Amino acid sequence: FKAHDFKTCSQSGFCRRGRALAKRSLETQSWQSPYSIDPSTISIVDGQAVFKAGVKSSLYPDINFGLEVRVQEDGAVRVRMDEVGGLHKRYDEAASWSLIADPKISQSIQWKAGKKDIRAVYGSKKDIGVVITYEPLQITLSRGGKDQVVLNGRGLLHMEHFRKKEEAPAVEATPTPEGGEEQVVVKADNPGAWFEGAEEDALWEETWGQWTDSKPKGPESLSIDISFPNHGVVYGIPQHATRLALPTTTGENAFFSDPYRLYNADVFEHLASSPVSLYGSIPLMHAHSEESTVAVFDLVASETWIDVSHSSDKSTETHWISESGILDLFILPGPDPDAVFAQYAKLTGTAPLPAAFGLGYHQCRWNYVSSEDVRTVQKRFDEENIPVDVLWLDIEYAVDHEYFMWNEKTFPDPVEMVNDVAATGRKMVVIVDPHLKRDSNYPAFTAAQDLKVLVKPKSGEGEYEGWCWPGSSSWVDFFNPAAWDWWKSVFKPYQLEGGSWSWTKSTEDVHIWNDMNEPSVFNGPEITMPKDNIHYGGWEHRDIHNINGMLYSNLTYQAVAARSDPPKRPFVLTRAFYAGSQRFGAMWTGDNMGTWEHMAVGIKMVLANSIGGFSFAGSDVGGFFGNPEPEMLVRWYQVGAMAPFFRAHAHIDTKRREPYLLASPYKDIVYGILRLRYSMLPVWYTAFRETTVTGRPILRPQYVVFPKDKNGFDIDDQYFIGSSGLLVKPVTEKDVTETTVYFSDDQVYYDYFTFATYNGKGSHVKVPAALHQLPLFIRGGSIVSTRERPRRASSLMKYDPFTLRVALSKDGEAKGDLYLDDGETYNHQKGEYVWREFVAAKKTRNSLRISSHDLGSLKPTEAVGDSSLTTYNPKNSYAKTLDEKDVRVEKILVLGLKGNPKSVKVEGTGEDLAFEFMPAMTRAASTLVIKDPRAKITDDWTVLIQY
Amino acid sequence: RDKLLGVHPTSVSKYTPTKSNTWKCLDGSKELPWSAVNDDYCDCEDGSDEPGTSACSNSQFWCQNAGHIGSYIPSSRVGDGLCEADCCDGSDEQPGVCPNRCKEIGEAYRANRDAELKIQKTGSKIRSTYIAFAHKEQKRLQEEVKSLAKEIVTKEKEVERLRDIAERTESLSQAALEHKKQSPLYQSLLNHNKALKSLKREYQKHADRERQLGDILGSLRTGYNPNYQDMAVLEAVRGWEELAGLPHINDIKKGGDAEEGGEVTTGEGEKAGEPEDDGLWTKDELDGELEDILGTDYTQLLLDHEEHINAPTGDSVLFKITSYLPDSLLPTYEVWKDNLLEWLERLGIIPEETSGATSESSRAQQNLATATSELNRIKGEKSEAESTIVKIFHPEHFGIEGEWKKMDDECLEYEFGEYTYELCMFREAKQKPKNGGSTFSLGRFKSWNTDARPGSPEYYSKQYYKHGARCWNGPERSVVVLWTCGTQNAVTSVAELEKCEYQYTATSPALCLPPGAGDNGNGKNREEL
Repeated sequence: FKAHDFKTCSQSGFCRRGRALAKRSLETQSWQSPYSIDPSTISIVDGQAVFKAGVKSSLYPDINFGLEVRVQEDGAVRVRMDEVGGLHKRYDEAASWSLIADPKISQSIQWKAGKKDIRAVYGSKKDIGVVITYEPLQITLSRGGKDQVVLNGRGLLHMEHFRKKEEAPAVEATPTPEGGEEQVVVKADNPGAWFEGAEEDALWEETWGQWTDSKPKGPESLSIDISFPNHGVVYGIPQHATRLALPTTTGENAFFSDPYRLYNADVFEHLASSPVSLYGSIPLMHAHSEESTVAVFDLVASETWIDVSHSSDKSTETHWISESGILDLFILPGPDPDAVFAQYAKLTGTAPLPAAFGLGYHQCRWNYVSSEDVRTVQKRFDEENIPVDVLWLDIEYAVDHEYFMWNEKTFPDPVEMVNDVAATGRKMVVIVDPHLKRDSNYPAFTAAQDLKVLVKPKSGEGEYEGWCWPGSSSWVDFFNPAAWDWWKSVFKPYQLEGGSWSWTKSTEDVHIWNDMNEPSVFNGPEITMPKDNIHYGGWEHRDIHNINGMLYSNLTYQAVAARSDPPKRPFVLTRAFYAGSQRFGAMWTGDNMGTWEHMAVGIKMVLANSIGGFSFAGSDVGGFFGNPEPEMLVRWYQVGAMAPFFRAHAHIDTKRREPYLLASPYKDIVYGILRLRYSMLPVWYTAFRETTVTGRPILRPQYVVFPKDKNGFDIDDQYFIGSSGLLVKPVTEKDVTETTVYFSDDQVYYDYFTFATYNGKGSHVKVPAALHQLPLFIRGGSIVSTRERPRRASSLMKYDPFTLRVALSKDGEAKGDLYLDDGETYNHQKGEYVWREFVAAKKTRNSLRISSHDLGSLKPTEAVGDSSLTTYNPKNSYAKTLDEKDVRVEKILVLGLKGNPKSVKVEGTGEDLAFEFMPAMTRAASTLVIKDPRAKITDDWTVLIQY
Repeated sequence: RDKLLGVHPTSVSKYTPTKSNTWKCLDGSKELPWSAVNDDYCDCEDGSDEPGTSACSNSQFWCQNAGHIGSYIPSSRVGDGLCEADCCDGSDEQPGVCPNRCKEIGEAYRANRDAELKIQKTGSKIRSTYIAFAHKEQKRLQEEVKSLAKEIVTKEKEVERLRDIAERTESLSQAALEHKKQSPLYQSLLNHNKALKSLKREYQKHADRERQLGDILGSLRTGYNPNYQDMAVLEAVRGWEELAGLPHINDIKKGGDAEEGGEVTTGEGEKAGEPEDDGLWTKDELDGELEDILGTDYTQLLLDHEEHINAPTGDSVLFKITSYLPDSLLPTYEVWKDNLLEWLERLGIIPEETSGATSESSRAQQNLATATSELNRIKGEKSEAESTIVKIFHPEHFGIEGEWKKMDDECLEYEFGEYTYELCMFREAKQKPKNGGSTFSLGRFKSWNTDARPGSPEYYSKQYYKHGARCWNGPERSVVVLWTCGTQNAVTSVAELEKCEYQYTATSPALCLPPGAGDNGNGKNREEL
């Protein structure tokens, strides 16, 4: 980590001002926000829960602000504030990139004005209240009489208005203090000094290191405090390498000294525990307690710093300081994590169903050096009969790092190479980065130049030039709509009509990796673009920085989908991201290091991302930097196989470490992990289906599943996979033979492999965890569907039979669902899918019925995301294919049956089924294996067990 | 479903039901109803009940492949919808999925095998010439050793004789020479020489340092790892490029401007601009001629000087009179002159001709030195020949049959990208930039494949070259050469699979065993049906 490459809060003018404001508020006895609502300006939109009013600051009586508070249909509250009639316009377009639609405003909720405030009460029990207090301005959301979220309760709201430079009050120039410790010298001619500080601090031009930010519009930062008076823990605001339950940054014994920063950055060899900003930003924070979960979503795209502190065990105070943009903030009322996920999903959307291969194993390295190398790697996997779905190419495939342009010396036959990989049902992912080498022979660069869609320098004229992999480069400004159609055309694997350049040396089996889209600029301030660069519409880079990466992967995603007709689901991996990026593919946690600490924090980072709505996430298996010893590599495969996105990757300076290079016994353990991943693909895919509809994450930390269990709030090293009932605790330490798992509820848990049983009820239990043992458990009451036949790639498994693990609950019952579709097209949105539920229920005291029924018909509107279908046809052509191919359940494994089975029959026909039974032993559940129940996956069926 | 699907012909007998229509897993662990065999459900731990399906992950499927070679495939490939080359009859998939391609695949296979066999045959013939060469070499070297031994005996005597002469002349002339060396002129000359030498040493030292710095910066420039995204390094590179008058490395198109011309010499341009006053030497003259001056034999110079100073004596009438005398008087005159001169010398009128003796002594020394070094050279040649004789048939060197001897020190070249990759067998592998610039050693010969038994064909299928030039911020460069049988000695590919670790593939007849020998021939005896 190169600390000097990145700013601390004290090196960033507006953050320094924001923190100083907070400090003054603590030092001042009768601190009161200068902002208030002018009651004479209040207006309520007819028939809509929209409140509008003018806001004034007592410091600047001539400046006008406008406030708008909307209550949405789902009860979420949107608070917007902007300067009215200012010298310039604040950036107000973040919502158009992040939100899927303008949220629907409630038609039924009414504002009721009082003398000092206005309020709206709603909710099915009328227990939610939003109160806007006029003077000082404060907005509070409460539930059942308890305050949940309070805005400006600490009076830190401050929207710096636009001003002219000469307007500045005459203050003697004092050198900018180092370390942000400001001398407070109250000047008589500055009546606002108690609030803003006596001196101007970095309002205008600001120099840091060799870079000077011209800040042509002067100060425009935005500070707001958000308190959660009844929530003792907060989660979210990825991406930071920290614990999931966010440690404090201010107050006594603060864990970190700097605020959490959101400013997408390419951080070389980042630390394993730090509040510094990393590659992506999702300004969503959950606040949680045993009683309720709420969240705030601060829709701002500029650099943002967030301080977190606790005034007591039961409350949390946060302070958000952003450099520019309007205030556009959502309060999500919960009341539980699932409700928050749904409320957030309504705003920024859910992940689409991924291309099925995206859930397989990805083999990457910087770099497979030639097409022969790629073929050899694939051959080695096949020789060892181990599965892999995707082979990846990093930047060295491209001659001079001109993406799309194959190095013909090393990759003389790219199309043939891709076809050779595709012949075994596999895909390739090839990197395309956003920097374009300034080379007049590079068609991607010249086209962008001709279209005039390159980002401009601060002058607003010409093209910004920065340094990246290819040397001198320029960046396409994807905020410019003129770039969109062109970018979509570039990925066409065929010659375009009209002769403009397209990537003819590719096929539909090539998918895309977007890296460096923060954007990374080697010679720029903080390894990114100067903030005064100019984008489309005249906005400065500072205004849109955190959205930049999302827009790039958005356009790439569209481009890859548009290659084929009808479109196929693209796979796009991105490093930079923002709220809404979940709609455009997968992310990974960036350039991690091959250390145990990074392995451990990677899990927490993926969990934080999941909370931020971006479930399709993973860390580089093995660690990007360094040469992990075999033990570490094995553990890392266990971590990776239990993440939604499962990719091994390595830096160019590392030794090769493909699984087949390992020695015994490590090799066989890794093969076992890879096969486990492939057998569980139905679980992962079914979990994705759920998230496309509900926004609930794929990986669910303890507090999400057991929100009322306080003991689980800090646990972030074990998690559940979707609604499958699978609980995993990957080991991330050396020399471990056992580990402790926390079982929250009063339920039986079965070891996935040995069927050993554990009883929950809030116990921390020691479980075996030697190198070959992955602590993976099935919660009693779950039915898990797997495909146990090892294949070389996931596409070769699509007609394989299923195994059901029926893990009976304490009460002897269980259920689970299974979702299937072609994994490739968008036909699922037209109803081409199969969605089944399996239920094990007691029929009598001594009999158990295990049955399968169709969920598609039962809940057609809840089946898949992006579908407006209201009906479901169980005889759709996809289901028919499965029927014709005789896709069936080949085995049912019943765990925890109490009593010896006498007979197992197909209900209806009465046909006897072969079975084997192993009675329960000390700490191991009884297992009943039912052989081939003659159960087609598309049919309704019931198996009756008499015991 | 066919109960015998996927069963190897020799195992067919094991797949028969008992009288009570049951069947036992081949490991004997379980008895099943006969209907459980190949019912697409795995019953047996050993997977033996499902030879024809993918139900047991630990089982294998036998493809008969009539018209080609029968083959096992892992059961996981059964019914996966892909047509395997190893199962060309398509029996691993549902009927209609995979056409029987055994005829064409078999033909292609045989054609390919024939071609390989042909290469192997041709190669093995060449190989036998290599073996013959090794034997001839051995004989030749043995002869050479013998004759060298003889020569050594002769030379040793010669050296003895010359040493004797030298020692005797030495003692005669030493005293006179020492006297002359006291002359101020000679002493001053020596001082000048010493000063010049010192200057030269210093100059050399600085030039070396500069060259080393240039090399370091040069390899920084070409090899710096942009992955570290370090702008400080980039600044250093750009600074160096400006100083050395080079274009920026990232702007160079391969095959484009033929820059990078030869060695990088700092500030050459500036020096050319310096005025050449007072006939001072140019850099080239300094480089070329200073060495000659410093190599002057001062003793010889002193002796020559004596001769020069005394020359007029030789040019006097007495010596020139011969041209005026009639030929008939000449013999008498010579005798007279010699006597006269002898007298003149004795009387001290002309100086004694001591100079001759001194130079004679140094000449004797020189002769001795020449003879001694000649002797050492011959001795060296002999011991090298002797050690080569040992290596020729040593498994860890040129092979049990000496088949690699032929290639000792042969250099193979392969062009790839901007480089020519050179492999000098048993010596060194190198990377030479085509457009000039520094050549890097990729490593020196270390060993054959140490994972295999010395002498086995696998042993000679791999060669390691290690401890090459260290990479910028990385390991020492190294090469693994993967050898296969071929009719020519050639490098066929070069790849840098890991940073600074190169893999060459290469062919050589030395690896072509005669068909039928070793394990190469076994393939064709496999089940061809």
